[in-house]
Amino acid sequence: MNTTGKAVMQTIVLAVISIFLYFLLYYWSDYIMNWSRQGGWYFVIPVVIAFIFSFAHGTFANHFWDMLGVKAKSVKK
Amino acid sequence: MLKQLVFLIFLLGCPLVIATEAIPLEAVFLLQWEHVLFLLIVGLVGGLVSGFIGSSGAFILTPAMMLIGIPAIVAVASNICHKFPKSLVSALKRIKHGLVDIRLAIVIGISAEIGILCGVYLQIHIRNIFGNTGSNIYITIIFLLVLAILGLYNLRDSQKMRKTGESELFKINKLAQKVRSIHIPGTMMYFPSLDTRISVLFTIPIGFFTGLLASNIAVGGFIAVPAMIYILGAGGLMASATQLLIAFIIGVGGTVQYAISGFVDIRLAMIILAGSLLGIHLGAIAATYAKDYLIKLVTGILMSLIFFSLSVKMLIYINDTGHIKLVIETITTLNYVSFNLFNLALISGTVIILYTLISGTIKYNKAQRFMEEELALSPKIDEDDIVSNSITQLSPTGRFEKILLVTDRSQATIGATREAIRLAQRTDGKLIAMSVVMMNPEHASLARQLIEKENDDTLSHLEQVRTEATKAGVSCDISVRHGIEIYQEIINEAEQNHVDVIVMGRRGMTGLMRLMMGSNTAKVIGHSQCSVLVVPRTSMIQGSKILLAVDGSRYSDIAASAAMSIAKHIHASILVVSVVYSDLKEKRYTEAVQEIKRVESFLTKEGIKVTGEVLSGRPAEVLIEIAEAKGVDLIVMGSHGRTGLDRVMLGSVSDRVIGYANCAVLVVKF
Repeated sequence: MNTTGKAVMQTIVLAVISIFLYFLLYYWSDYIMNWSRQGGWYFVIPVVIAFIFSFAHGTFANHFWDMLGVKAKSVKK
Repeated sequence: MLKQLVFLIFLLGCPLVIATEAIPLEAVFLLQWEHVLFLLIVGLVGGLVSGFIGSSGAFILTPAMMLIGIPAIVAVASNICHKFPKSLVSALKRIKHGLVDIRLAIVIGISAEIGILCGVYLQIHIRNIFGNTGSNIYITIIFLLVLAILGLYNLRDSQKMRKTGESELFKINKLAQKVRSIHIPGTMMYFPSLDTRISVLFTIPIGFFTGLLASNIAVGGFIAVPAMIYILGAGGLMASATQLLIAFIIGVGGTVQYAISGFVDIRLAMIILAGSLLGIHLGAIAATYAKDYLIKLVTGILMSLIFFSLSVKMLIYINDTGHIKLVIETITTLNYVSFNLFNLALISGTVIILYTLISGTIKYNKAQRFMEEELALSPKIDEDDIVSNSITQLSPTGRFEKILLVTDRSQATIGATREAIRLAQRTDGKLIAMSVVMMNPEHASLARQLIEKENDDTLSHLEQVRTEATKAGVSCDISVRHGIEIYQEIINEAEQNHVDVIVMGRRGMTGLMRLMMGSNTAKVIGHSQCSVLVVPRTSMIQGSKILLAVDGSRYSDIAASAAMSIAKHIHASILVVSVVYSDLKEKRYTEAVQEIKRVESFLTKEGIKVTGEVLSGRPAEVLIEIAEAKGVDLIVMGSHGRTGLDRVMLGSVSDRVIGYANCAVLVVKF
């Protein structure tokens, strides 16, 4: 597989992971909200979710724009 | 370091020890699909602005949540929650580069935690006494104050920068000198970034108010960074980098505090995150095409419009308390005006940023095309010169007319830089020196000037390389690329310039680490269309002897052609080696002898001194051993071009030779 194909494949996989995570959040939202609002040690739930989503979706977002060629300008002299 | 980490864990644990009891909450905010859509758009624009101005987009996100009826305290709590992971990743990266004053971050972080604790208590207290209306009014007042001050400051500074090109920010004044000269016994502490002892009595208020502000509007960097510069006299870069760690401490502390009391709505936080992470990338890239004054202007305009939007909304909040009586039509009109002023802010910010990005990209691509056309139209080299200079370079694998040097400021690329210049000198080739600045826009948005510093440092390093090359009589172009995959940027640069060989350094990763992490060198070899020369830091290609590894495949024929070309350039002899490693050793041995004879005959015809040897054992280890024993200063070998899983499963001889050889290795591709 050439590099473009590999980049597209990678982005698709990351997109699927990201969408799956959001689907889980939507599907279990009632339970998650009930647990996370119980106070005390349940504070861990939003903290862990924030870390996982930030990592997964952040990686997807970076690869997505990179794949589309939206890049910072190169400096040539 | 360990002590500091233990301290940090204690620091993050503080809120747990002083945890509040659970407070009864109202029902979960009923999230409709139109809310989700609105928050996604707001997140996208918030990220766009955040990436563009290099600061938090909280001044957009929190008011947006409040406008659709989310209680202010939930909006602030959810906003703090969505952004602290990226602060951590960004802070770790800066710590690795030695840009963060960990001690200063922890000392300010402790007082910031106290500030957060007080801020959260205050918020909850106000909410319990005055309800959500009181909480909304309290947070709106703080927002109005911050937006008014910073909005005006940015508008004024943008005008000043437009005229003079200079910013007022980061000019150290006399206050810092005064603070540094005050000695209060028992409170003095040494901070490496300041290179002096300062009383912690000065750092405590900075941290406290940073934490207090963060717990109220979800952002505190507006206080910490200027305070570290103006009051403590820290450098702008160090202050920005240290703020990343403080932001993480504050973010975790704030999230934990609000989550313990059940105010974090993780659904809202993650919806905003979804849009924000996509927007940040575009914003950060647009910023590379924008002038500094424009960035300030956009910040000023947005803050002013949101200030007016919140001012109008404030009337509705006051009406809710019963202190003023507005008729329903007036309330509807005020809601309409407030909402649309906010939308105007979003639209104007988006239009300016996207216009900057699109026009900047078009101009940049035009300039690139113009340069390429100029290059194509430039006078061709005299035919006689081609024959005399490139007679040995007729085969594409033996041509070294365009050499791409991949270099950075590390020790690992010193050898590569030296040998690339020498190779260009010997082959009368043209050198392109390039560096890749790892740019993850998500992190870049948190401290824009840190990326700018990396760019400047990289450019000055490349200028040094160019000066060295010019001294050696070699023509050299320089190029800085930005990206998330270093090897991809190198391949793109090589393909764009049609280079004949890429010259790279070698990092010290070996064994499992190498297998797990991969290496950019291995990836470049795997994906490039041209040959790759890997030069360890201390090795030099003196021209004493070249080792040519052959295995009877077409790849080793290609390598033989390249070895011949180099041998002519550097007047070296060639040692042809074939390694037998199989159960059918005798049969393979005969084949190897024939193969060596064939290559020897080819090289001898070209007037090169050749010797041949057939050895047995594991190919990579044998090649490295014999190279050392015979004083070889360049190994030339073909690449089977395996990539990805194939490379991991089957291994690559070239990979192992590159990883362990003490001399330079040329991997020839076809």
